[in-house]
Amino acid sequence: MKKNVLLLGASGNIAPHLLPGLEPYYHLRLADIKPHPDGKPILTVNVASYQQVKEAARGMDAIMNFTVVRDHPVQSFQVSTLGAWHVMKAAAELGIKKIIHTGPQAVRSDYDHDFDIIDVPQASGFGYYGLTKMLGTEICRIYARAYDIQTISFLFNGLGPRPTEKVVKRDFPPFTIVWEDLQYACRLALEIESVPGNFQEFNMLSYEGHGKYSVDKARRILGFEPIEKWENYFKRIPD
Amino acid sequence: MNILITGAASPLGKAIVAELEKDHQLRLLDNVFDDVRAELVQGSILDSDTVWKAIRNIDVLIHTGEPPQHLPEDELEKEQFLLYLATRGTHVLLKTAAEAGVKRFIYGSTLEIFSAYPDNVYISELWKPLPTPEIHQMTRYLGELTCREFAREYTVTVTALRLGKLVMEEEVVTQQPDPMWLDLRDAAMAFRCALRREDSAAINWARRWAIYHICADFANPKYLIDQAASIGYKPSHNFRNDG
Repeated sequence: MKKNVLLLGASGNIAPHLLPGLEPYYHLRLADIKPHPDGKPILTVNVASYQQVKEAARGMDAIMNFTVVRDHPVQSFQVSTLGAWHVMKAAAELGIKKIIHTGPQAVRSDYDHDFDIIDVPQASGFGYYGLTKMLGTEICRIYARAYDIQTISFLFNGLGPRPTEKVVKRDFPPFTIVWEDLQYACRLALEIESVPGNFQEFNMLSYEGHGKYSVDKARRILGFEPIEKWENYFKRIPD
Repeated sequence: MNILITGAASPLGKAIVAELEKDHQLRLLDNVFDDVRAELVQGSILDSDTVWKAIRNIDVLIHTGEPPQHLPEDELEKEQFLLYLATRGTHVLLKTAAEAGVKRFIYGSTLEIFSAYPDNVYISELWKPLPTPEIHQMTRYLGELTCREFAREYTVTVTALRLGKLVMEEEVVTQQPDPMWLDLRDAAMAFRCALRREDSAAINWARRWAIYHICADFANPKYLIDQAASIGYKPSHNFRNDG
């Protein structure tokens, strides 16, 4: 039986690209404050309104929160922090046990000059985007612990289409995930029964060749693996 | 020193004013005041114009974290407001103060973020907070995280005081002691002690940021206050009903 999944931020920069990998497997309720770019039916939901979030979440098995306001001094708090609270509060009140939360790699940007970066503490700085998302993530962690809500938080930086032909004289992009890999990761997250401590955050990327950012934790817990060795499109042919 | 105190009309704010008013120049910020003992700025920390007005020529910002007296009656609206105040309000306050050149911040957090731990452990500042969704705990914790990020990126000294449950010793003397109790007067004294911290020039942000646990000095403590003793904290009200 297909699960019912509420997709918040369905008309944003990411979610429309997930539909080809999710629609065949789930009953999706698409919600946003603006029309869907491909004309799909959208339920108007502003995550800054608890009543709207709760009504949209009724009857759902899971909520995927892809909402964000990046650098606005007021709306970033209303959407990325207060909105995260509304999602978790609605899940707690309605008995929804699966949340997929999202955030930027920027919450870990203090470690950008390191390597083998898997699971490091959040260090967002005071910028609106990173801080408000980091606070939202902490709210998820608090509710996940208190209400046994299995919460998976994905961290992104670059997102885009998979390479389709050989690329020369160019390195592959760091901390970037191709749509197909993210679709797969979302399916794994929606299907996994539980995660350690009810909350786990995962780097989401498709290119690991640098030895910098790693998806080993997603491999270990979710069973994630990029569906192709995308680095191979960037191989140099030695003289 | 010139000190701005937020939440100044709250019981904690008033206790801090009483502790500091003889030795420092105080400016008080809150929505309403029921007495006048210092220079007042009426308004909300959510309003950056009010905060700009309040922060001029200030050396130290004491952000008590205490909410205003008049909160929305509707429970959901009240919780939304408290969350917004602790996150965006704290951000407006610290960003404005940092841009105005203020170098020292003191924040009033809470020991209640450890209430999930059992009673058979000694809790020091090394322990991981486990706040619950209870709005007081959660919002103070989020406010604390917001303060920490300013210490990370600005050359400012930020001190978080995790305060126990605020009481007056004489009012609870007949009750079974709670290991989290803290007399209001001792809480105010802890803010005075925190004024001594000045690590703004430290290159390592971990020195610019510090947390201290503040409660009474119990004979068999759950919350250890040794770290606070290093800044001179020595509580006078220790709930020892032993004559």
